[in-house]
Amino acid sequence: MFYRLPQFKYYKPQTLDEALKLLNELDEAKVIAGGTDLLIDMRIGRYRPKSIIDINDLSELKYIIDDGNRIRIGALTRLQELIYSEIIKEKLPILYEAVYHMASWQIRNMATIGGNLCNASPAADTAPPLMVLEAKLRVINIEGERTIDIREFFLGPRKTLLKGNELLKEIIVPVHKDYGYSYMKLGRRNSFTLSIVSVASLVKVENNIFSDVRIALNSIAPTPIRAVSVEKYLVGRKVTIDSIKAASKLVIKDISPITDIRATAEYRKDMAIILTYDSLKVALKRLGIEFVKG
Amino acid sequence: MALVLVKFNLNGHPVEVDVEPNEILLNTLRNKLGIKSVKRGCERGECGACTILLDGKPVYSCMLLTVQVNGRSIDTVDGLWNNELFKKLVYNFTIKGAIQCGYCTPGFLITSYALLRTKKVISKEDVLKAIEGNLCRCTGYKKIIEAIMETYECIHS
Amino acid sequence: MIAMSYEDPYELINKWLKAREFIVIGKGITRSDSLEKALGKARFVEDYFEDSKMLFIKQVLSSEGHAIIEEINYDEALKIPGIVGVYTYKDIPGENQVGYALPDQPLLAEGKVRYHGETVALIAAWDYEKAFKAAELIRIRYRSLPILLGPLEAFKRKDILVHDELGSNIAFKTKLRRGDVEKGFSESDVVVENTYRTHHQEHAYLEPEAALAIPDVEGRLTIISCAQYPHLAQKIVARVLGLPSSRVRIVSPYIGGGFGGKDDEGPLVAAKAALVAYLTGKPAFLMYSREESIRIHPKREAAVIKYKSGATADGKLRAIKVTIIHDTGAYANRGPFILWRATVHASGPYYVPNAWVDGYCVYTNKVPQGSFRGFGNPSVQFAAEAQMDELARKLGMDPVEFRLKNLLRPGMETITGQLLEDSVGVADMVAKLSDSMNWKKLRKEIDEWNIKSTRYKRGLGIGVAWHGISTSRGVPDWSNAYIKIDRDGSVTVYTGIVEIGQGSPTTSHRQIVAEVLGVPLELINVVFGTSDAPDGGATHASRGTSIGAIGVLLAAAKIRERLNRLAADLLKAPLEKIVIKEGKVFVQGDEERSMSWKELIEKAYSRGIDLSATGYFFLPKGSFDNERGQGYAYPAYSYVALAIMVEVDTWTGKVKVLKAWPGLAAGKIINPIQVEGQIEGAITQGIGYVLMEEIRFGSKGEILNADLTDYTIPTAMDTPLEITKPVYVEDIFKYGPFGAKGVGEMAFIPLPAAIANAVSHAIGKRITELPLTPERLYKIIKSIR
Repeated sequence: MFYRLPQFKYYKPQTLDEALKLLNELDEAKVIAGGTDLLIDMRIGRYRPKSIIDINDLSELKYIIDDGNRIRIGALTRLQELIYSEIIKEKLPILYEAVYHMASWQIRNMATIGGNLCNASPAADTAPPLMVLEAKLRVINIEGERTIDIREFFLGPRKTLLKGNELLKEIIVPVHKDYGYSYMKLGRRNSFTLSIVSVASLVKVENNIFSDVRIALNSIAPTPIRAVSVEKYLVGRKVTIDSIKAASKLVIKDISPITDIRATAEYRKDMAIILTYDSLKVALKRLGIEFVKG
Repeated sequence: MALVLVKFNLNGHPVEVDVEPNEILLNTLRNKLGIKSVKRGCERGECGACTILLDGKPVYSCMLLTVQVNGRSIDTVDGLWNNELFKKLVYNFTIKGAIQCGYCTPGFLITSYALLRTKKVISKEDVLKAIEGNLCRCTGYKKIIEAIMETYECIHS
Repeated sequence: MIAMSYEDPYELINKWLKAREFIVIGKGITRSDSLEKALGKARFVEDYFEDSKMLFIKQVLSSEGHAIIEEINYDEALKIPGIVGVYTYKDIPGENQVGYALPDQPLLAEGKVRYHGETVALIAAWDYEKAFKAAELIRIRYRSLPILLGPLEAFKRKDILVHDELGSNIAFKTKLRRGDVEKGFSESDVVVENTYRTHHQEHAYLEPEAALAIPDVEGRLTIISCAQYPHLAQKIVARVLGLPSSRVRIVSPYIGGGFGGKDDEGPLVAAKAALVAYLTGKPAFLMYSREESIRIHPKREAAVIKYKSGATADGKLRAIKVTIIHDTGAYANRGPFILWRATVHASGPYYVPNAWVDGYCVYTNKVPQGSFRGFGNPSVQFAAEAQMDELARKLGMDPVEFRLKNLLRPGMETITGQLLEDSVGVADMVAKLSDSMNWKKLRKEIDEWNIKSTRYKRGLGIGVAWHGISTSRGVPDWSNAYIKIDRDGSVTVYTGIVEIGQGSPTTSHRQIVAEVLGVPLELINVVFGTSDAPDGGATHASRGTSIGAIGVLLAAAKIRERLNRLAADLLKAPLEKIVIKEGKVFVQGDEERSMSWKELIEKAYSRGIDLSATGYFFLPKGSFDNERGQGYAYPAYSYVALAIMVEVDTWTGKVKVLKAWPGLAAGKIINPIQVEGQIEGAITQGIGYVLMEEIRFGSKGEILNADLTDYTIPTAMDTPLEITKPVYVEDIFKYGPFGAKGVGEMAFIPLPAAIANAVSHAIGKRITELPLTPERLYKIIKSIR
């Protein structure tokens, strides 16, 4: 009554093959999984699909499988299921931390990890952790499957490499042992909010030297990005408070934030630096490395 | 647009409705099935006043198309009046003054009912996290949190 | 024949004021509506709407901020089957005038639109999908006019006028002159001068506005409305339709939050629905979408306040000079009253011998300003309390100590020259609060903590405020209610006070009746929010209990007097020994001589005792000189103090509210749980206002963040970690029911001041501008470095 949804034809395929066929045949069709982005987009007129393909009955897309050195997550897995999963909590704690701070319980019960990635909002919270974990995405269409590296997946706001008839099937996440991790989110309030900037970091330290550093941020560019300048600076460097401070300042080379209704570009730039610093500190703390002052 | 027949379980009873694909569950519940306890606050999944249980999990009914709930089960406060846990929650909400204008109340009760049923051990942080998706402008949340914690202590002793 | 002299209102109020032992007053009894609301049975306006059996109204809003309407074309829209009509100002049978303080506001735009979001047309349809379709086909041709967005700019300009007839953009002015401020400043050892800025606030009640108008069998129009003042809604609807009030009936169901927003907008929603119902003869329903609600209804005013204050070295205030500019948006609405309240309260609750205040209410092309919890007071208290802290700092005095030297006490005059004889508990309350929280020690501990901490800084601030209860100055205020007792002993109370969540009808009114009549609470039914009740004033200005219940008390007291006499006769006992408690009527000291309440009522019926009564009380007021702002301003003031401890992350600008200590001198506390609920709700609403809420306006004055994702109000995760039990000083108000004063707005009023003062303490710089969103505070902190 507050909004009017456009009229559309509704399909609910029962198998993946059925879904792929529909996706291939139908014109101006949109896939609905959790619907938490799509239903808003339809209300505000961003999308007016002629058909909606409801993939919620495709149970073959819902799973969390531990393959030992990698975890495979079905695209239809609900965000809340990721939080409930012991596998995710133990083996992909950075993903757990990111999803824990997303939206609200009600949204997480519907929203899916696949939906969050395919919707490709620059503020998507599952993207930075998956980017530092260097996940691979299995996408499928009626012709076959292919693998896309998540770092290539996002092209711009709401634009991905996904072809019109392709469906995201699975997210393959390598398990990282002996890494410190952290996901930090700055919002306008403490919860149930879009980020002004978020930082995901993964660090490995050997002999007090950074042996691997991976940092990803959202809400500071048209797509989530890896802060390569920060990473390059730190790898091979001694773990000191000064190296972290200097490194986090370099993040502005990797980001291109805009001014929007949530924050100005300047504030985002400054906060990207602070959050990168904070995130690195927490990641190191999880490895047992702490600094006396600062 | 063709009408679709949707069958689902509502508060323990089977129901059938004819809906257009673009009809949202909130409207079906309120306008076709007489369930007025589910409230309309924003229709964008931002306020929580329309929270219901879908197969036991709290979701926003304004963010569901009715066609999507075929074969599922839906619970609203209307079906919980005889439930012991719900009664304890209602008692504590009432005694502690956790209800002022009441518009957000059914949503909070559904969410906290689901919390108390899903988790065995609950901390205050768990309560805050569980209700972060339910907005209240009247109470400042303090008495709501107390009512939920009190109910939790009740059922754990 | 029974002489009626014992029904004098002053005597009755006074008699019950002297009560020392209570059955239910002062207890946290449960509300009568809690269970219904929990079970989902409580009905709000939309719950009465029957889809496809009643007309659905869709509003067409202005997409321009300031423009002449050249043409409204809805021919195409009317062609859609199911569209019953499209209505504009041309279709209004009565007067298209709904201005509250000034006659400057149309119900539907006529000739010109003055803000983005103004209602231009109403579409009536049998289903909402058709109504939306029709809305897309309505063509309005505008001729854009230049837009004024800032009040300081609008103040100066005569070439761009929001209201052409006026010749300027100054809607209203106030003036207050007391003593000789120049002399006062020359006598001062320290003088502080600053300009303060506050921002708009959106009410964001969970239930958006709604009304359902039903033409009834008797030729009356019944409107189920969310208005906070049924008789005002009745008046507005009658005026718009050109009908006598007796043909319009307003009924209020439960209302999902008001905070003043539904006081202003409620009657307009009712009028729009009534218009359609009247013209079509069919029931018509209107509900604002959340987006429409944010765009259309009046907001808390944005203010610019220039404040100069002077004090002597021994810590006594000598003079204040204040200029207040309120951004009143496109229409004056409550502006003049909000401005008067700000003007009269400009000093804060202190004795100031010399005062000069100028107030201006300025038009801009934005959504109008209006009633919102505090009504002009929070912004001026923010300024006044910042000044107090600055003066204290310059004098080397502790902020609370400095305040205690200046707080009003019985026997002192306010800046309007009003002598406060009684009910001035503020100094006691602040002293008690400061002692109970160990203010001085805490401040010292925080100062020490801050030395050792670089990134995080803590602060402890206080805001002390006052708020006149009832309407201001000579504006008449009264209370009225009607009570009747049925043969089975059940009691029905009719009051125009509505239930917006604050609990007046469902708790305090019931408690008062239960106390006065001695009946069990279960026997009492309050029919609230109906225009069929005698007009008892609005549910606003924290008067639902303080003033609104005087009538309830009086009606009950009158009946009690009659019943006492009957009982004395029946039980053969002296009049003053009759006790009625929880449904038992007995003789004090001899409980065997008794009868049940039911028996007494039966006897009353057979003996010809009138068991119905109206309680009417006209609040005695003194005179007020509007030219100099001097005289009797309010019958009484409630006083409130809030101490707040914050922790500021100086690297991000994020503020965490750690603890809040409330103190209240609001007369008798009728229901402590409800009062706590008001305090806790106000604190969270205040935290939202100061730390995370901000309305963003575009170049057309359009609201850019008209949804609850981008207008961020606090969730459960944003509340303070701890709120202590309030410190109460029950400084009895002689006309209030059992001495109660108003509570609803109180805890909000000093909140902006308290948080700002705490943050100022934390970062070592005076905060003069709100909001303090993380980004804004970050910028301020950066500028210090």
